[in-house]
Amino acid sequence: MNGNSGNAGAAAWAAALCFFAWGTALAADPQLCAACHGPDGNSVIPANPSLAGQPEQAISTQLYQFREGNRKDPQMSPMAANLSNKEMNELAAYFSKQKPAAPTHQTSPENAAAGPKLALQFNCVQCHGPAMRGQQHIPRIAGQQYDYLLAQLRKFKARTRADLDGNMTAAAEPLKDKDVEILVDYIAGLNPQ
Amino acid sequence: MNCSKALAAAFLALFGTAALAQAPDAPPPWKQGMSPEQSSSTLHPFAPHMTGRDAKSLPVNTLKVPAGFKVEAWADGIPEARSLALGDKGTVFVSNRLAKNVYAVVDKGGTREVKTVLKGLNAPNGIVFSKGTLFVAERDKITRYDGIEDKLDNPPAPKVVVDNLDPTQQPGHFWKYLALGPDGKLYFNIGAPGNIVMPSYMQASVMRVDPKTGVLEQVARGVRNSVGITFNPKTKEVWFTNHGRDWLGDDSPNDTLHRVSMGGKSVPNFGYPFCHQGDTLDPEYGKNRSCNEFAKPALKLGTHIAPLGVKFYNGKMFPAEYQNTLFIAMHGSWNRQPKQGYNIMHVTFDANGNPKMAPFLTGFLQDEKADPPMWGRPVDILQMKDGSLLFSDDYNGILYRVSYAKK
Repeated sequence: MNGNSGNAGAAAWAAALCFFAWGTALAADPQLCAACHGPDGNSVIPANPSLAGQPEQAISTQLYQFREGNRKDPQMSPMAANLSNKEMNELAAYFSKQKPAAPTHQTSPENAAAGPKLALQFNCVQCHGPAMRGQQHIPRIAGQQYDYLLAQLRKFKARTRADLDGNMTAAAEPLKDKDVEILVDYIAGLNPQ
Repeated sequence: MNCSKALAAAFLALFGTAALAQAPDAPPPWKQGMSPEQSSSTLHPFAPHMTGRDAKSLPVNTLKVPAGFKVEAWADGIPEARSLALGDKGTVFVSNRLAKNVYAVVDKGGTREVKTVLKGLNAPNGIVFSKGTLFVAERDKITRYDGIEDKLDNPPAPKVVVDNLDPTQQPGHFWKYLALGPDGKLYFNIGAPGNIVMPSYMQASVMRVDPKTGVLEQVARGVRNSVGITFNPKTKEVWFTNHGRDWLGDDSPNDTLHRVSMGGKSVPNFGYPFCHQGDTLDPEYGKNRSCNEFAKPALKLGTHIAPLGVKFYNGKMFPAEYQNTLFIAMHGSWNRQPKQGYNIMHVTFDANGNPKMAPFLTGFLQDEKADPPMWGRPVDILQMKDGSLLFSDDYNGILYRVSYAKK
């Protein structure tokens, strides 16, 4: 994903690596995703999401969204363009089984205190679960990359992020800009496992 | 109620439509109508596996049907398979709600080929095939594709039967079921725009349109959302299923089955949003009203069970007692704990025509308290020429066949 971080250059470089590697591949090899999404799916690039330990259906759903053009990204769209449903399911199964790494993000003390109340008030926990670890088609957001979370939540609020059933768009709309910042700071620091 | 109402605002993002019809501080559509005591609920809508799942990876052999019947996976790889229609030459057309496509399944003597025949449609949930023409109900219009079965690889351009069916871009229940009546008219629903809200004149209704003239008529009003419409082959009555509102508790209200005889003096009103299941006033809209002013459902089907496809059986394969009885596909709901539904029910009628319901096909529901509780969700039912039944499962993108072998 291309976020708003100063690491966009690094992301693009890594994405290019992915892309060239992909061109020589015959099947959906999870290691081809590693350049951008990190070894075993634990991203070390702030703009890119971690895939490790995500619910299987959450990964396959997003791959589908990219392939169908509902969700667009300069790096990710071409990666998904030629994947079959079967390949998407295989990649999803692989990354769902990888162990998520501890978060590198440090939540500020005031947001660690304010976050849980906002997460309940704005229905985050209703779908993402009490520990924000996701379920079914709903992604794990606990310990996810801060920059990625911030970019996505802002896109949902702006109604520019593809949304399978509209629930996330509806949930993000009432958020004030300050709420977004508090929630992302809180969630990015949560333990993912 | 199924995940449906939650899909509410949905397509706005996907299709770049106008603003949500709600104030900025209004609750998300799936929470609309929730009481303050329910605010910590962990109930959430389900979503289909958009990439589909292989039938052989699923416990299809655990599905249960009555003695003498057999159920098997018939075709997979049809993401989000919803409504079914049978072509004159045996093509099975399959719709969906989120994937924007219409598929054709061609039976090639034991193997089935799945083709994507129509692309880029707007929630094409409703399909009907008649005399060489495929009719498709999208969010805002009904179109026809003449002679499509001979041109599956190069389908004809659509002709509009009627459009402007969604002038307000309603956030909820915008997908339409489509059925062909014995009168040659196309019957469809326009759902309520949210869980429990005041509908406009055209919303929360079942309507019909004459494909020759494009003229619309109302069939029933006060119907929250019907996603299954059929006709009694003998009496020609219209029968349809309806989803009751959410957030009124695990045991209220019932989803319902309705019967309408066309040619009556007035259009029946089944009560939404004032009265539910024919006898239960809504806590908000029901104030100062009475259920006595509204028509009653033919049968209460269970709470949050999400009835979808409904079909009378008149094929030659099943035992004689199945003639003119009704099958209903229960999609199962998210808005209840423990969960129920996720099966196919069978409705028989006594000598006085009173309906009685019993399970016919079960096994998708594995653990009523688990999340998710099921591994598949029945949607629509299609009677094949040999008298077997096909039914669709949008959760996995699979069609199943139910057949009967004499002993």
